[in-house]
Amino acid sequence: MSFPGMGVQRAWHLIDANNQTVGRLAVQISQLLKGKHKPTFKPNKDVGDYVVVINAEKVHFSGKKWKNKLYRWHTGYPGGLKQRTAQEQLNRKPDAILRSAVLGMLKRNRLRHQCMEKRLKLYVGPEHPHTSQLPSESTKVSPALPRSGPMERFGLESYTQLPHPHALNKKFSLKDLKGL
Amino acid sequence: SPRANGQIPAVGSSWLGPQWSIVANNVAIRTFASKKHKNLLKHSKGFRGRAKNCYSIAVRAVHKSWQHAYRGRKLKKREYHKLWIQRINAGVKQYSWNYSTFIGSLRKSDLKLDRKVLADLAATEPFAFKSVVQVIGQTTKRAAP
Repeated sequence: MSFPGMGVQRAWHLIDANNQTVGRLAVQISQLLKGKHKPTFKPNKDVGDYVVVINAEKVHFSGKKWKNKLYRWHTGYPGGLKQRTAQEQLNRKPDAILRSAVLGMLKRNRLRHQCMEKRLKLYVGPEHPHTSQLPSESTKVSPALPRSGPMERFGLESYTQLPHPHALNKKFSLKDLKGL
Repeated sequence: SPRANGQIPAVGSSWLGPQWSIVANNVAIRTFASKKHKNLLKHSKGFRGRAKNCYSIAVRAVHKSWQHAYRGRKLKKREYHKLWIQRINAGVKQYSWNYSTFIGSLRKSDLKLDRKVLADLAATEPFAFKSVVQVIGQTTKRAAP
């Protein structure tokens, strides 16, 4: 089983979590990690993007969730059910709130554990070490890799900036729909 | 024929029983039950263990594989329909629209494109897809995204 998509177009997204509602932000992040924002989405392949989140501890819970929401886990030993309120979780591990929200929205399979989880980069505070990977002003398209397939590159910019390796000599035929 | 002349013994005349016959060089010829087995074992290629070689084990595995294939032919249509909708949704979100209102406007317009074609356009022909989105947006007088 091979997950890495050869020649998949991967982007880096920077998200500021300051004052964002946890669940609503987590939905968008999980969609980016899975690649569901791409028209070349494949459910069995790793087509998602990198997501860098800053100020992960400044997220917002509505209502009394800081006091009442419980994070529970079991240590495996009898009587080992432990729990923490959201406020305590924030004090001990500030990025765990957003991380557990995002990962809880992704299916628990090898694709998520091996690929998507590693592409979620959460940072407490406004600093992050990924300034070289993130685009400076507008979204930049990564250069065409030699092995990208016809269904892995999409978007208008990819056609205006770089010649699509498969678009140049492409004659549409029913065989092309095989990849669908 | 050699069998009528008596050069090859009649079927069932040997000590092996009714299915078998022995020719002059003692090579046993298999008859009709074995043909049925061979026809079924054709479909058990790639199976694990004895299920690919031995008839009485293979017959169960092959019949189950045919049931899976019957179900799979129906599931395939559902899976691809689902995938096309996900891809159209992603393509249309690039123009700040969503799938449900897009399909509603598509029905009202004159375009007879189906989801398979739209998904393929969204993935491989971005300019064509953008023009489709704009045409449908104009028919429903949607504000430009």
